[in-house]
Amino acid sequence: MSGICIDQLRASLEGVVASVMATCDANGVPNVSMISQVHYVDTERVALSYQFFNKTRRNLLATRRATVQITDPQTYQHHRLELEYLETRTTGPLFERMKAQLAGIASHHGMEDVFRLLGADIFRIVSIEAVPGLPPAARPASRPLLAAARRSCAALDACTDLEDLLDTATLGLERDFGIAHSILLLVEEGEERLYAVASRGYPTSGAGAEVAFGEGVIGVAAREAVPIRIGHMTREYRYGAAIGSMARRAGIVAEAQRIIPFPGLVAPRSQIALPIVVSGRVLGVLFGESEVMMCFSYDEEDALALVASHLGARMALLRQDPVEEDDAVPVATGLREKAVRVRHFPFDQSVFLDNDYLIKGVAGAILWRLLSVHAETGRTDFSLRELRVDPALRLPAHADNLDARLILLRRRLEERKACIQLQKSGRGRVSLSVPKGLTLEEAGASDPA
Amino acid sequence: MILSATNLDSESPAGMAASFTPASPIGDIAAWQSQQTAAGNQMLTPDLVAFVQRGISVILAAPGANGWPAAGVAVGCRIMPDGTMRILLSRAANAAVLAAVGAGTGLAVTFTAAPDHRAIQVKARQARVLPASSDDLPEMDRQTACFRDELVELGFPPDLARGYAAFDPSEMIAIEFRPEHVYTQTPGPGAGAELTR
Repeated sequence: MSGICIDQLRASLEGVVASVMATCDANGVPNVSMISQVHYVDTERVALSYQFFNKTRRNLLATRRATVQITDPQTYQHHRLELEYLETRTTGPLFERMKAQLAGIASHHGMEDVFRLLGADIFRIVSIEAVPGLPPAARPASRPLLAAARRSCAALDACTDLEDLLDTATLGLERDFGIAHSILLLVEEGEERLYAVASRGYPTSGAGAEVAFGEGVIGVAAREAVPIRIGHMTREYRYGAAIGSMARRAGIVAEAQRIIPFPGLVAPRSQIALPIVVSGRVLGVLFGESEVMMCFSYDEEDALALVASHLGARMALLRQDPVEEDDAVPVATGLREKAVRVRHFPFDQSVFLDNDYLIKGVAGAILWRLLSVHAETGRTDFSLRELRVDPALRLPAHADNLDARLILLRRRLEERKACIQLQKSGRGRVSLSVPKGLTLEEAGASDPA
Repeated sequence: MILSATNLDSESPAGMAASFTPASPIGDIAAWQSQQTAAGNQMLTPDLVAFVQRGISVILAAPGANGWPAAGVAVGCRIMPDGTMRILLSRAANAAVLAAVGAGTGLAVTFTAAPDHRAIQVKARQARVLPASSDDLPEMDRQTACFRDELVELGFPPDLARGYAAFDPSEMIAIEFRPEHVYTQTPGPGAGAELTR
């Protein structure tokens, strides 16, 4: 291969400018067409989208050779790649990445019904040639991403508890990368779902909002454990629809009452989702979005992937640290008089304050347990350790996310301006504040709201 | 599609290109069948004679000497009075295609319009490489100006449209041939179909 490396040409592989693809049949009859994007795979390979069984495809299968010409949208330089066709993938991370990008491009061009990814064709790069032409235009200055990643990672290193860590991650996205809208979601253990636990740049925090695996860029990133990036938004990758249908399949009649709205932008143009992977397990997803098209490049993805990876390592480290319990710091509980009926539905652990849905799942179970213990004993102060081993909660043996649930629960209560509030009262401790006149009501085991 | 919108300010509609009705292979076939070939032209209808000279993307391929296809990008196209297709292109940027055609290979040329993705491919078993002539330049200026303006109208940054459509007149060379086959290459059902009489 010549001196040029494909890594240097990734600006030409963003799909901003369409590429030229030439093939020949077995008799040497040429064929040429425009293709929307040549995708970067690694330093040796690129991928092309297989959308139609056409002449190009027949030629590829017959000769296994193609030449593509790519264009840098900033310098207008062209490069030609001679490619050898290796294989076609119809599932997996690379396929899903390309599918998401193609869906965005198709939607942008009003071609949703025409452009469908049938496969990701993988090619070995045989040669790269710079096409002679006019002098290249100057590349506009861009944000120094390595410095940004370093600053974000250093800030994460300084965090001593999970809540601080999560908030520092979204803060870093804004301060170091200029990504004003971001959400951090964690995977619901044993279920193919994520829940939002921290966010930045939205009118509501959306703490507790859920995203199903496979839904939108976040759900696909979590399911495939691969970064997903879209430069033009498309209906196919919007949030909300899948949750409703999931709930309906589960036979939950009043599902609308039990959903916390996803906090995302109404009209995003660019989105990026980075899986947070620790020891091969996806713990969560770091998500950023913008109203600007084509906002996130390969380089941004690389830098953010470093931050997401570091975040995962810090999360794992904080979990390993035994929770040192401080003495409880007195918290002003300011008891007020308010008649509120708290209802608990064991079938999904949902909790309602009067008729308003608050939370469900593990966080719902924890809240119900705290309120029940409070009602029986008058206690307001609780330690994470006791909750972890509480037989009434029956948390999984490695309740990794207990900390995260409490953060989520506290934020949800805050956001609802609920009469019940939860506060940190020291390391590893929480304090419950409830008004007088609270009544607890356990609904029947199979009794939906 | 030629370009995918980038860096558009929020004033530009997200789906500017989408506001154009996409073309379809069926539309290409209907247009083909509704017209006779143009005067003096054995292959192209008046519709296609106009289309290929409209100021759109022109790309080409030939079987390269090294066993790989040679790919190229041209500046524009003229249809001569006798129906010959004359493709104007930069010499250095298209050395492999020019070498192949000069050695007697076949040629494929695809014309693609940015707004509606309409694409037509023509093929010939042989073509001639010729010097550019003085009357090629004004027409190439006109076509690239149309191409550039259309991209800007679609919402693309003027710099990008200008850079993409730029060419060096001193580098210009021509390929001439008589199209032998015409295909619709517009995306959609029926794409790739040969347009025949």
